[in-house]
Amino acid sequence: MKIRSITLNNVRRFTEPSRVADIGDGLNVLCEPNEHGKSTLFDAMQALFFKPHGSRDKDVASLRPHAGGAPEVTVEVETEDGLFSVAKRWFQKPAATVHRNGNLIAQSDAAEAWIVDLLGGDAGGPSGLIWVRQGMTQLTGGSKKEQDAALQARRDLMTSVGEEVEAMTGGRRMDLALARCREELTSYATTTGRPKTNGPWKDAQDQVDALTSRRDALAATAQELHEALAERTRARRDLREWEAPEAVEDRRSRLEATRASHAAAERHAEEVEAEARKLDMARLTAEGAESRLDTFRTSLAERKEAAQLVEKAAAEAKDKQADLERQRAQRDTAEHAFEEAQEALKTAEAARTRALRAQAAKDGADRRRELEERIAKAEKTRSAMETAAAARTGPDAKALRRIEAFAATHSTAIAARDATATQVIAHYAEGRIGTIRAGDIPLPDGHSLPLPRATHLTIDGVGTLEVRPGEAAHDGNSVEAAAQKLREALKDVGADDLDMARNAASARAEAERRHGEAKAVLDSLAPQGIDRLREALAKIPQMDAVADTPDPDTAEATLTDARAAHDTARIARDTASERLADARSEAMRTETMLTSLRERLKRAEDALEKIGNRSEADLAAEAESAAEAYRAAQAAHAAKAKDAPDLAATKAALARAQSVDKRAGEEIARLKPLLARLDERISRASGDAVEERLAETEQELEAAQANLARVENEVAVLSRLEKALEAARNEARERYFTPIAKELKPLLHLLWPEAELTWGEESLLPDALTRNGVTEPIDVLSGGTQEQVALLVRLAFARMLAASGRGAPVILDDALVFTDDDRIERMFDALHRQAGDLQIIVLTCRQRAFRDLGGNALRLAAPEKTQPATC
Amino acid sequence: MTFRFIHTSDLHIGRKFANIPQPVDGNIRGRLMEARHGAIGRLAQAARDQGAAHVLLAGDTFDTATPSPVVIRQALAAMGEAPELIWWLLPGNHDNLRDAEPLWEAIHRDAPANVIALTDAAPQDMGDAATLLPCPVAFRASASDPSEPLVTMASDDGKLRIGLAHGGVTDFTESGTAIAPDRDRSARLDYLALGDWHGRIAVSDRVQYCGSPEQDRFKHGRRGVCLSVAIDGPGAVPLVEEVETGSFLWAQVDLTLHPRQDAAAALTAILPGAGRRDVLLRVSATGWAGLPDHVDLQRAADRCAPEFAHFELVTDALGTQYETADLDEIDRGGALRLAADGLMDDAESETLSQADREVAADALARLYAYVREAAR
Repeated sequence: MKIRSITLNNVRRFTEPSRVADIGDGLNVLCEPNEHGKSTLFDAMQALFFKPHGSRDKDVASLRPHAGGAPEVTVEVETEDGLFSVAKRWFQKPAATVHRNGNLIAQSDAAEAWIVDLLGGDAGGPSGLIWVRQGMTQLTGGSKKEQDAALQARRDLMTSVGEEVEAMTGGRRMDLALARCREELTSYATTTGRPKTNGPWKDAQDQVDALTSRRDALAATAQELHEALAERTRARRDLREWEAPEAVEDRRSRLEATRASHAAAERHAEEVEAEARKLDMARLTAEGAESRLDTFRTSLAERKEAAQLVEKAAAEAKDKQADLERQRAQRDTAEHAFEEAQEALKTAEAARTRALRAQAAKDGADRRRELEERIAKAEKTRSAMETAAAARTGPDAKALRRIEAFAATHSTAIAARDATATQVIAHYAEGRIGTIRAGDIPLPDGHSLPLPRATHLTIDGVGTLEVRPGEAAHDGNSVEAAAQKLREALKDVGADDLDMARNAASARAEAERRHGEAKAVLDSLAPQGIDRLREALAKIPQMDAVADTPDPDTAEATLTDARAAHDTARIARDTASERLADARSEAMRTETMLTSLRERLKRAEDALEKIGNRSEADLAAEAESAAEAYRAAQAAHAAKAKDAPDLAATKAALARAQSVDKRAGEEIARLKPLLARLDERISRASGDAVEERLAETEQELEAAQANLARVENEVAVLSRLEKALEAARNEARERYFTPIAKELKPLLHLLWPEAELTWGEESLLPDALTRNGVTEPIDVLSGGTQEQVALLVRLAFARMLAASGRGAPVILDDALVFTDDDRIERMFDALHRQAGDLQIIVLTCRQRAFRDLGGNALRLAAPEKTQPATC
Repeated sequence: MTFRFIHTSDLHIGRKFANIPQPVDGNIRGRLMEARHGAIGRLAQAARDQGAAHVLLAGDTFDTATPSPVVIRQALAAMGEAPELIWWLLPGNHDNLRDAEPLWEAIHRDAPANVIALTDAAPQDMGDAATLLPCPVAFRASASDPSEPLVTMASDDGKLRIGLAHGGVTDFTESGTAIAPDRDRSARLDYLALGDWHGRIAVSDRVQYCGSPEQDRFKHGRRGVCLSVAIDGPGAVPLVEEVETGSFLWAQVDLTLHPRQDAAAALTAILPGAGRRDVLLRVSATGWAGLPDHVDLQRAADRCAPEFAHFELVTDALGTQYETADLDEIDRGGALRLAADGLMDDAESETLSQADREVAADALARLYAYVREAAR
């Protein structure tokens, strides 16, 4: 849709028809000073498109002139279907018409519907989105109602602006549906999807749990009742069977019969037992007679043998006793000899002790003497050693070698000096020898006298001859230095010259030799020092000499002999003792044997005496008679046992009959109280109507489970719906933001290269601007920046609308108020950029600032006479 | 002389109906319980009206094996209040001899003289004209035909042989536990009064199920009845007349819908015009309906439900036909439409489980309802 002209009549200050015509494609600019009706033009277009012709609200009323009248607005719009003239009049004879080529194509409600269809069917239309009213230059602003309306417009519009944004957030209906869904879901579940405490879901679960528990408990009780009934049935049946008269009679008769049988069996058994006792008696009698006969015969033989052995043993015992006495005497003799040998040994040992003590005393005296001599010699030697040490005053060998080295150096230096010194050789005339002196020393004849330094030679009778060596002559310092070292070395050892030093060194060597010799002697005499010798001497005891002491060797020999004699005596004594013990043992053995044989003999005699004075023949006849009686008893017992009844069987039969009778009594005794208890249990359970309550609980549980299933299904449905709504809204937001950001990006970069906008999910508007890496909320930006962002966003919206085939003109009523000159140039570029396929109508009073905007200039003027009537 | 008696069964006295939802301000469970107790009085009245001196209860007089003492005593007292009648009580499977032994002991002990507990399978003299041949149920689940003893049960010559048993005549498992349908012939019966089935069924002229005198389930679609039986003499064909005794009507009606049908109107059309307070109604909606039809149907059900003793709308078998216009009503595009399309895809998915499809369908219907409510 594009607007081609706007005509106002009776609209505020336009009491006469005024018109803006020739509105072209692209950018159109109506630049008029304030109070020339630009905002009236804007409001009139708003009213035409969005206020029904029957409306009398304040917005429409505000269009009326002060003098009153019916405001009329006519807009020519061009769509793909052609050019249409849309007109409305409010208040008096309100009307709405749509003409095409002068032909009325719709009026009244049809015309309103045509307009709505033209705008895409949305109540808010594009105005809230892309039309900028004067003073509404920010993204948000105005009253709360206006802000809400703008938000609604954004949402409602963006839901259907084309394929790219067709799945927008759903607007208020989405909010309401989601809120309602969440509200209902919240009453059931927590945010984590668990049943909410005190909520219907939790209540339903708790009710099912409680009823299930109650049902289980009642079912268990019912089961117990059933079991009790079954048990009572069994108990009654059992009791009836036990107490049945025929059963009682049967048990009684069976008991009596088994008792009689068992008594008869017991009597027979006693008779058998009596026969058995007779049999035993006969057996014992026969065995006794046989035994006596055997004893008689054995005892006779035994007595004879025992008597012979006693006689023999008595003789042997007598011999052994004699031998014992003999051995005892021999042992006494040996014992006496041993005691004598012991005494002799003691005497020899004492003598040897005395001899050894005397020898020790003598050895101690010798040792003292030897030590005293060694101490004296050591003292003497130490004195000599000290003397020698004192004599060690000369230089030692090392010092002497040092002095001799200095002396050699000195001699070498003199020789070297003299070799280079001026040589004076006196060749005396005869008789004149010794007339030339160097100092007081006459020069020898013919001998060269070196003169290392200037020397005055005195020549008797002549005077003095001064001899001065040349420059190259030795200066004598080295000689003097060597001499000085020599002198110092000699002084160190207290010698005046080398010979003296050598003599002193020789004396020192001699003293050292003597000292060494004395030390060697002393070391041999007292290796650990003289004091140790004295200490050793002090430790030797003073012992007096013992008179009449035997010779140790003699005493030792005597002792050895005594010991041998003692050992011999002891062995003899021990041997005698052993023989005595053997003899004693042998005597005891023979005596014991003799005693035993005598007892044996006694026993044989006793046995014969016990049998009495009877003959062997009598005894044999008695044994034969007893054996015969035993055989007769055996036959009688076998005959009785042969017909004996089975006592164990009769006893078992009786025991069984008694057991049955006893059990009957016990069972009856058990069943009667059991039945009483069961009656009480059954009575109590049936009185509690357990089955009735169980049936009721099961019905309640059935209903509770159905309710829980319904609630769980409700939760599932609400959760599924919430999930679907959230997923759809998130997807829609993505679809919404992506194309807008894409459309907006080049516009934004006209002002701020690389700038980015962040979008608010709820407001669906930019909420922050990022420039040069710094992100700032929109509402803290300057007024100019805010209005620039707002305008660019609207231009982007407009481009999207156009792309969706629902292009609408962008109308800007003083939309750039705070923008400076630099930015406004770039905003103009943005407008021209979007105006390529958009119709943009700019209304402004800033004539100078908008001079460079360019575009199609519009004028507000009286309409030409040829314009058709609007309504 | 014609012998007359009332044949009834399955009173299930003491049943609590705890599975019937009860509004906070309602008392439907109490009313249903009271109606079962009240059936005794209505049976007595039917007997008086029909000139019958005997009321044969063919099992399940009580709902459970151990009803509360109050339930037992009040039921017996109600029977005792009609002393001119003799009440013959046969143990059924719910109040069988084994599990309900205390119950029958209590009846033996506490029942008035005109109430006779038939706890033995032995002939009972009903006067000069008839012998009652009872077959008490010994166990909750029997392993044999409970009417089998009738074959060998003796009776006086010249008297009617009236059998009384409890169990089904159809043995779907062929286990041999069902009552033989020709038991009247094999046992030479003039009439076999059967219980167990809560609905009224005439197996043959002489073999009859009377059904429960007070219904307790939706499947039978009519109020409970008892049978007034008149037999002129041995061998005569019994004259059986149904006498309505039920106070509540349990009914289930099908409501088949098709797209673009006015669902609310269709529902209203099948509802009873009067007596709704004593009607328990289950409406099973089938067919296909659009999203708005679902909403309208549920709203209509919600509106009329309080008028009934109990009202259920079952829509499990009612499919949803998604119309583009319905989805457009949610939104023509945008996120709401995106969500709606996604839910519809899931609802019609061939890969998701039935449960997931139903959840998605319900979620879509809920979304539609939200949007509709927001638009109102």
